[in-house]
Amino acid sequence: MRGDDLPVKLLRAEDERVNPAIILAEGLMQRDAERLLTVEEVSEAETVLAIGTQEIETVEFHRKAFLKTPASAIDYVPLGF
Amino acid sequence: MTGLAVVGQGRENRSYFGDRLIRSLEYLRFKARSHNAAFACETVSRVVSEQYKYRLYKDLFPKEWKRSTTSLYRAGHFKAYSERTNEFFQLVNDKCFPLLEYWHDDPDLELDRFAIPPMNFDLCCEEVDYSGLRVSYLAGLMFYFVEDDEIWTFFSEKYGIEKKTLPAIKASPHARVWREEQNAETKPYSDLIRLVDHSTGNPWLDVNHCQYPEFFEWNKETIDWLTETYKSANQSFRNLENLDDRIEEDAQKFLFELISFWNTGKTGL
Repeated sequence: MRGDDLPVKLLRAEDERVNPAIILAEGLMQRDAERLLTVEEVSEAETVLAIGTQEIETVEFHRKAFLKTPASAIDYVPLGF
Repeated sequence: MTGLAVVGQGRENRSYFGDRLIRSLEYLRFKARSHNAAFACETVSRVVSEQYKYRLYKDLFPKEWKRSTTSLYRAGHFKAYSERTNEFFQLVNDKCFPLLEYWHDDPDLELDRFAIPPMNFDLCCEEVDYSGLRVSYLAGLMFYFVEDDEIWTFFSEKYGIEKKTLPAIKASPHARVWREEQNAETKPYSDLIRLVDHSTGNPWLDVNHCQYPEFFEWNKETIDWLTETYKSANQSFRNLENLDDRIEEDAQKFLFELISFWNTGKTGL
Protein backbone atom coordinates (compact mmCIF):
# COMPACT_ATOMS: atom_id res chain seq x y z
CA MET A 1 0.00 0.00 0.00
CA ARG A 2 1.46 3.37 -1.00
CA GLY A 3 1.74 6.01 1.67
CA ASP A 4 -0.92 8.18 -0.03
CA ASP A 5 -3.42 5.27 0.00
CA LEU A 6 -3.29 4.75 3.75
CA PRO A 7 -6.84 4.90 5.12
CA VAL A 8 -5.90 7.43 7.74
CA LYS A 9 -4.43 9.74 5.09
CA LEU A 10 -7.49 9.35 2.90
CA LEU A 11 -9.71 10.21 5.84
CA ARG A 12 -7.61 13.23 6.76
CA ALA A 13 -7.75 14.46 3.18
CA GLU A 14 -11.55 14.56 3.22
CA ASP A 15 -13.51 17.68 4.13
CA GLU A 16 -14.86 17.46 7.61
CA ARG A 17 -18.51 18.40 8.09
CA VAL A 18 -21.44 17.56 10.28
CA ASN A 19 -24.42 15.77 8.76
CA PRO A 20 -26.73 18.69 7.81
CA ALA A 21 -29.72 16.89 9.36
CA ILE A 22 -28.06 17.26 12.78
CA ILE A 23 -27.78 21.03 12.35
CA LEU A 24 -31.33 21.36 11.03
CA ALA A 25 -32.77 19.15 13.79
CA GLU A 26 -31.13 21.39 16.38
CA GLY A 27 -32.74 24.46 14.79
CA LEU A 28 -36.15 22.84 14.57
CA MET A 29 -36.06 21.66 18.18
CA GLN A 30 -35.33 25.18 19.38
CA ARG A 31 -38.09 26.68 17.28
CA ASP A 32 -41.51 27.56 18.63
CA ALA A 33 -43.92 24.99 17.16
CA GLU A 34 -46.65 27.60 16.79
CA ARG A 35 -44.49 29.50 14.29
CA LEU A 36 -45.32 27.30 11.32
CA LEU A 37 -42.72 26.40 8.74
CA THR A 38 -43.07 28.16 5.39
CA VAL A 39 -43.25 26.26 2.12
CA GLU A 40 -39.61 27.20 1.46
CA GLU A 41 -38.53 25.97 4.87
CA VAL A 42 -40.32 22.65 4.38
CA SER A 43 -38.72 22.31 0.96
CA GLU A 44 -35.29 23.06 2.44
CA ALA A 45 -35.90 20.54 5.22
CA GLU A 46 -36.81 17.87 2.68
CA THR A 47 -33.60 18.58 0.74
CA VAL A 48 -31.53 18.36 3.93
CA LEU A 49 -33.32 15.17 4.86
CA ALA A 50 -32.44 13.64 1.49
CA ILE A 51 -28.77 14.65 1.86
CA GLY A 52 -28.66 13.45 5.47
CA THR A 53 -30.19 10.10 4.61
CA GLN A 54 -27.80 9.70 1.68
CA GLU A 55 -24.84 10.33 3.97
CA ILE A 56 -26.07 7.75 6.46
CA GLU A 57 -26.46 5.21 3.66
CA THR A 58 -22.96 5.96 2.36
CA VAL A 59 -21.41 5.56 5.81
CA GLU A 60 -23.36 2.34 6.35
CA PHE A 61 -22.20 1.01 2.97
CA HIS A 62 -18.55 1.68 3.80
CA ARG A 63 -18.94 0.29 7.32
CA LYS A 64 -20.26 -2.98 5.88
CA ALA A 65 -17.43 -3.07 3.33
CA PHE A 66 -14.90 -2.41 6.10
CA LEU A 67 -16.29 -5.24 8.23
CA LYS A 68 -15.98 -7.63 5.29
CA THR A 69 -12.33 -6.70 4.75
CA PRO A 70 -10.06 -9.55 5.91
CA ALA A 71 -7.54 -8.75 8.60
CA SER A 72 -3.91 -8.60 7.50
CA ALA A 73 -0.72 -8.49 9.50
CA ILE A 74 1.33 -5.30 9.44
CA ASP A 75 5.07 -5.39 8.84
CA TYR A 76 5.98 -2.98 11.63
CA VAL A 77 5.33 -2.63 15.32
CA PRO A 78 2.97 0.28 16.05
CA LEU A 79 4.20 2.95 18.40
CA GLY A 80 3.54 1.97 22.03
CA PHE A 81 3.77 -1.79 21.55
CA MET B 1 -51.80 24.36 36.14
CA THR B 2 -49.63 27.47 36.30
CA GLY B 3 -50.10 29.59 33.22
CA LEU B 4 -48.10 32.35 31.61
CA ALA B 5 -50.13 34.52 29.27
CA VAL B 6 -48.20 35.44 26.16
CA VAL B 7 -49.71 37.98 23.81
CA GLY B 8 -48.76 37.68 20.18
CA GLN B 9 -50.17 38.38 16.73
CA GLY B 10 -53.27 40.07 18.05
CA ARG B 11 -54.41 37.22 20.23
CA GLU B 12 -53.64 35.72 23.57
CA ASN B 13 -51.63 32.52 23.71
CA ARG B 14 -51.26 30.62 26.93
CA SER B 15 -47.88 29.03 27.28
CA TYR B 16 -48.43 26.82 30.29
CA PHE B 17 -45.67 25.73 32.59
CA GLY B 18 -46.50 22.11 31.77
CA ASP B 19 -46.11 22.77 28.08
CA ARG B 20 -42.78 24.50 28.55
CA LEU B 21 -41.59 21.65 30.73
CA ILE B 22 -42.60 19.06 28.14
CA ARG B 23 -40.87 21.08 25.43
CA SER B 24 -37.68 21.33 27.54
CA LEU B 25 -37.69 17.61 28.28
CA GLU B 26 -38.22 16.87 24.63
CA TYR B 27 -35.25 19.12 23.79
CA LEU B 28 -33.02 17.45 26.41
CA ARG B 29 -34.00 14.02 25.10
CA PHE B 30 -33.03 15.24 21.65
CA LYS B 31 -29.74 16.79 22.84
CA ALA B 32 -28.70 13.55 24.47
CA ARG B 33 -28.72 11.93 21.04
CA SER B 34 -28.38 14.91 18.76
CA HIS B 35 -25.01 13.83 17.34
CA ASN B 36 -26.58 10.70 15.94
CA ALA B 37 -27.35 11.47 12.28
CA ALA B 38 -30.05 8.80 12.00
CA PHE B 39 -31.84 10.21 15.03
CA ALA B 40 -31.48 13.73 13.62
CA CYS B 41 -33.09 12.64 10.33
CA GLU B 42 -35.91 11.02 12.29
CA THR B 43 -36.39 14.24 14.28
CA VAL B 44 -36.45 16.43 11.16
CA SER B 45 -38.91 14.08 9.50
CA ARG B 46 -41.19 14.02 12.55
CA VAL B 47 -41.13 17.79 13.09
CA VAL B 48 -41.81 18.53 9.41
CA SER B 49 -44.64 16.00 9.35
CA GLU B 50 -46.23 17.53 12.47
CA GLN B 51 -45.76 21.05 11.10
CA TYR B 52 -47.38 19.97 7.87
CA LYS B 53 -50.45 18.86 9.79
CA TYR B 54 -50.54 22.15 11.72
CA ARG B 55 -50.46 24.00 8.41
CA LEU B 56 -53.32 21.87 7.12
CA TYR B 57 -55.27 22.46 10.34
CA LYS B 58 -54.79 26.22 9.98
CA ASP B 59 -55.81 26.17 6.29
CA LEU B 60 -58.83 23.90 6.68
CA PHE B 61 -60.14 25.13 10.04
CA PRO B 62 -58.79 28.66 10.57
CA LYS B 63 -61.34 29.62 13.24
CA GLU B 64 -60.72 26.49 15.28
CA TRP B 65 -56.95 26.94 14.95
CA LYS B 66 -57.21 30.53 16.18
CA ARG B 67 -59.15 29.67 19.30
CA SER B 68 -57.41 26.37 20.04
CA THR B 69 -55.61 26.10 23.37
CA THR B 70 -54.47 22.48 23.03
CA SER B 71 -50.80 21.76 23.47
CA LEU B 72 -48.37 21.69 20.57
CA TYR B 73 -45.96 19.58 22.64
CA ARG B 74 -47.93 17.25 24.89
CA ALA B 75 -48.87 13.92 23.32
CA GLY B 76 -52.57 13.36 22.69
CA HIS B 77 -54.72 10.26 22.32
CA PHE B 78 -52.65 9.10 19.36
CA LYS B 79 -49.38 9.10 21.24
CA ALA B 80 -47.17 9.82 18.25
CA TYR B 81 -48.86 13.21 17.84
CA SER B 82 -49.41 16.35 19.89
CA GLU B 83 -52.77 17.27 21.38
CA ARG B 84 -53.12 19.89 18.63
CA THR B 85 -52.63 17.32 15.88
CA ASN B 86 -55.09 15.02 17.63
CA GLU B 87 -57.55 17.89 17.67
CA PHE B 88 -57.02 18.22 13.93
CA PHE B 89 -57.75 14.51 13.42
CA GLN B 90 -60.93 14.91 15.46
CA LEU B 91 -62.03 17.93 13.40
CA VAL B 92 -61.50 16.04 10.17
CA ASN B 93 -63.55 13.21 11.65
CA ASP B 94 -66.36 15.52 12.82
CA LYS B 95 -66.56 17.91 9.89
CA CYS B 96 -65.21 16.09 6.83
CA PHE B 97 -65.42 12.29 6.91
CA PRO B 98 -65.12 9.35 9.31
CA LEU B 99 -61.43 9.04 10.10
CA LEU B 100 -61.21 7.80 13.67
CA GLU B 101 -63.11 4.59 13.38
CA TYR B 102 -62.66 1.18 11.86
CA TRP B 103 -58.87 0.74 11.49
CA HIS B 104 -57.90 3.82 13.44
CA ASP B 105 -58.74 3.00 17.02
CA ASP B 106 -55.29 2.13 18.35
CA PRO B 107 -53.61 5.00 20.27
CA ASP B 108 -50.18 3.66 19.30
CA LEU B 109 -51.00 3.95 15.62
CA GLU B 110 -49.07 6.27 13.30
CA LEU B 111 -51.47 8.25 11.17
CA ASP B 112 -49.07 9.76 8.67
CA ARG B 113 -51.12 7.95 6.06
CA PHE B 114 -54.66 6.81 6.66
CA ALA B 115 -57.23 4.42 5.22
CA ILE B 116 -60.97 4.97 4.92
CA PRO B 117 -63.69 2.55 5.98
CA PRO B 118 -65.74 0.96 3.19
CA MET B 119 -69.36 2.15 3.15
CA ASN B 120 -70.68 -0.28 0.58
CA PHE B 121 -71.86 -3.84 0.96
CA ASP B 122 -69.16 -6.48 0.44
CA LEU B 123 -70.02 -8.92 -2.32
CA CYS B 124 -66.96 -11.11 -1.98
CA CYS B 125 -67.09 -12.73 1.42
CA GLU B 126 -69.72 -11.03 3.54
CA GLU B 127 -72.66 -13.24 4.40
CA VAL B 128 -75.71 -11.69 2.79
CA ASP B 129 -78.29 -10.49 5.26
CA TYR B 130 -81.13 -9.49 2.95
CA SER B 131 -83.32 -8.15 5.73
CA GLY B 132 -80.85 -5.34 6.47
CA LEU B 133 -80.67 -4.12 2.88
CA ARG B 134 -82.76 -1.61 0.99
CA VAL B 135 -85.16 -3.25 -1.45
CA SER B 136 -83.61 -1.43 -4.41
CA TYR B 137 -80.11 -2.58 -3.41
CA LEU B 138 -81.46 -6.11 -3.17
CA ALA B 139 -82.86 -5.73 -6.69
CA GLY B 140 -79.35 -4.76 -7.85
CA LEU B 141 -77.90 -7.84 -6.15
CA MET B 142 -80.02 -10.10 -8.39
CA PHE B 143 -77.36 -9.74 -11.10
CA TYR B 144 -74.60 -10.95 -8.82
CA PHE B 145 -76.49 -13.75 -7.02
CA VAL B 146 -78.31 -15.14 -10.05
CA GLU B 147 -78.50 -18.64 -8.62
CA ASP B 148 -79.66 -17.44 -5.24
CA ASP B 149 -83.41 -18.04 -4.96
CA GLU B 150 -83.63 -16.21 -1.68
CA ILE B 151 -83.82 -12.81 -3.43
CA TRP B 152 -86.61 -14.06 -5.72
CA THR B 153 -88.43 -15.54 -2.75
CA PHE B 154 -88.28 -12.14 -1.08
CA PHE B 155 -89.76 -10.36 -4.13
CA SER B 156 -92.33 -13.09 -4.59
CA GLU B 157 -93.51 -12.97 -0.98
CA LYS B 158 -93.45 -9.20 -0.62
CA TYR B 159 -94.62 -8.07 -4.09
CA GLY B 160 -96.07 -11.23 -5.64
CA ILE B 161 -93.52 -11.20 -8.48
CA GLU B 162 -92.51 -14.44 -10.20
CA LYS B 163 -89.09 -14.86 -11.80
CA LYS B 164 -90.60 -16.41 -14.96
CA THR B 165 -92.66 -13.25 -15.68
CA LEU B 166 -89.45 -11.22 -16.13
CA PRO B 167 -86.75 -11.40 -18.83
CA ALA B 168 -83.93 -13.89 -18.16
CA ILE B 169 -80.85 -12.17 -16.73
CA LYS B 170 -77.84 -12.27 -19.05
CA ALA B 171 -74.53 -13.37 -17.61
CA SER B 172 -72.89 -9.97 -18.17
CA PRO B 173 -74.33 -6.47 -18.53
CA HIS B 174 -74.67 -4.60 -21.81
CA ALA B 175 -71.79 -2.19 -22.50
CA ARG B 176 -74.22 0.77 -22.37
CA VAL B 177 -74.76 0.11 -18.66
CA TRP B 178 -71.29 1.57 -17.94
CA ARG B 179 -71.63 4.67 -20.10
CA GLU B 180 -71.14 7.94 -18.25
CA GLU B 181 -73.90 9.65 -20.22
CA GLN B 182 -77.32 8.32 -19.29
CA ASN B 183 -80.73 9.87 -19.74
CA ALA B 184 -83.15 10.61 -16.91
CA GLU B 185 -84.80 7.22 -17.38
CA THR B 186 -81.67 5.05 -17.39
CA LYS B 187 -79.47 6.98 -14.94
CA PRO B 188 -81.07 5.63 -11.74
CA TYR B 189 -80.58 2.06 -13.02
CA SER B 190 -77.02 2.74 -14.10
CA ASP B 191 -76.24 4.32 -10.72
CA LEU B 192 -77.76 1.36 -8.89
CA ILE B 193 -75.77 -1.21 -10.87
CA ARG B 194 -72.56 0.81 -10.47
CA LEU B 195 -73.19 1.00 -6.73
CA VAL B 196 -73.80 -2.72 -6.33
CA ASP B 197 -70.87 -3.49 -8.64
CA HIS B 198 -68.51 -1.21 -6.65
CA SER B 199 -67.76 0.68 -9.87
CA THR B 200 -68.80 4.20 -8.96
CA GLY B 201 -65.34 5.81 -8.99
CA ASN B 202 -66.06 6.88 -5.42
CA PRO B 203 -63.48 5.46 -2.97
CA TRP B 204 -66.02 5.19 -0.12
CA LEU B 205 -68.24 2.98 -2.28
CA ASP B 206 -65.70 1.03 -4.29
CA VAL B 207 -63.31 -0.26 -1.61
CA ASN B 208 -64.22 -3.31 0.40
CA HIS B 209 -62.96 -5.14 3.47
CA CYS B 210 -61.33 -7.90 1.45
CA GLN B 211 -58.78 -5.81 -0.37
CA TYR B 212 -55.60 -4.26 0.96
CA PRO B 213 -56.63 -0.75 2.01
CA GLU B 214 -55.61 2.24 -0.03
CA PHE B 215 -53.67 4.73 2.06
CA PHE B 216 -54.12 8.47 1.68
CA GLU B 217 -51.66 11.27 2.34
CA TRP B 218 -52.36 14.35 4.40
CA ASN B 219 -52.82 17.20 1.94
CA LYS B 220 -55.59 19.66 1.22
CA GLU B 221 -56.52 18.18 -2.16
CA THR B 222 -56.97 14.71 -0.67
CA ILE B 223 -58.97 15.98 2.31
CA ASP B 224 -61.22 18.07 0.05
CA TRP B 225 -61.69 15.18 -2.36
CA LEU B 226 -62.50 12.66 0.37
CA THR B 227 -64.92 15.14 1.95
CA GLU B 228 -66.77 15.64 -1.34
CA THR B 229 -66.82 11.96 -2.23
CA TYR B 230 -68.07 11.10 1.28
CA LYS B 231 -71.01 13.50 0.79
CA SER B 232 -71.61 12.00 -2.63
CA ALA B 233 -71.52 8.45 -1.23
CA ASN B 234 -74.17 9.36 1.32
CA GLN B 235 -76.23 10.90 -1.47
CA SER B 236 -76.00 7.63 -3.41
CA PHE B 237 -77.58 5.80 -0.50
CA ARG B 238 -80.26 8.51 -0.14
CA ASN B 239 -81.04 8.07 -3.84
CA LEU B 240 -81.96 4.48 -3.09
CA GLU B 241 -84.92 5.80 -1.10
CA ASN B 242 -86.43 7.10 -4.37
CA LEU B 243 -85.87 3.71 -6.00
CA ASP B 244 -87.48 2.00 -3.01
CA ASP B 245 -90.53 4.24 -3.47
CA ARG B 246 -90.73 3.27 -7.13
CA ILE B 247 -90.60 -0.40 -6.20
CA GLU B 248 -93.39 0.12 -3.70
CA GLU B 249 -95.46 1.77 -6.46
CA ASP B 250 -94.90 -0.89 -9.12
CA ALA B 251 -92.29 -3.56 -8.36
CA GLN B 252 -93.02 -5.56 -11.54
CA LYS B 253 -92.36 -2.52 -13.78
CA PHE B 254 -89.22 -1.57 -11.86
CA LEU B 255 -87.67 -5.03 -12.06
CA PHE B 256 -88.63 -5.38 -15.70
CA GLU B 257 -86.93 -2.08 -16.60
CA LEU B 258 -83.89 -2.84 -14.45
CA ILE B 259 -83.35 -6.28 -16.02
CA SER B 260 -83.95 -4.89 -19.51
CA PHE B 261 -81.37 -2.18 -18.86
CA TRP B 262 -78.85 -4.79 -17.67
CA ASN B 263 -79.51 -6.97 -20.74
CA THR B 264 -79.80 -4.31 -23.47
CA GLY B 265 -78.75 -0.94 -22.09
CA LYS B 266 -82.34 0.25 -22.57
CA THR B 267 -85.26 0.19 -20.18
CA GLY B 268 -87.73 -1.27 -22.74
CA LEU B 269 -87.49 -4.43 -24.79
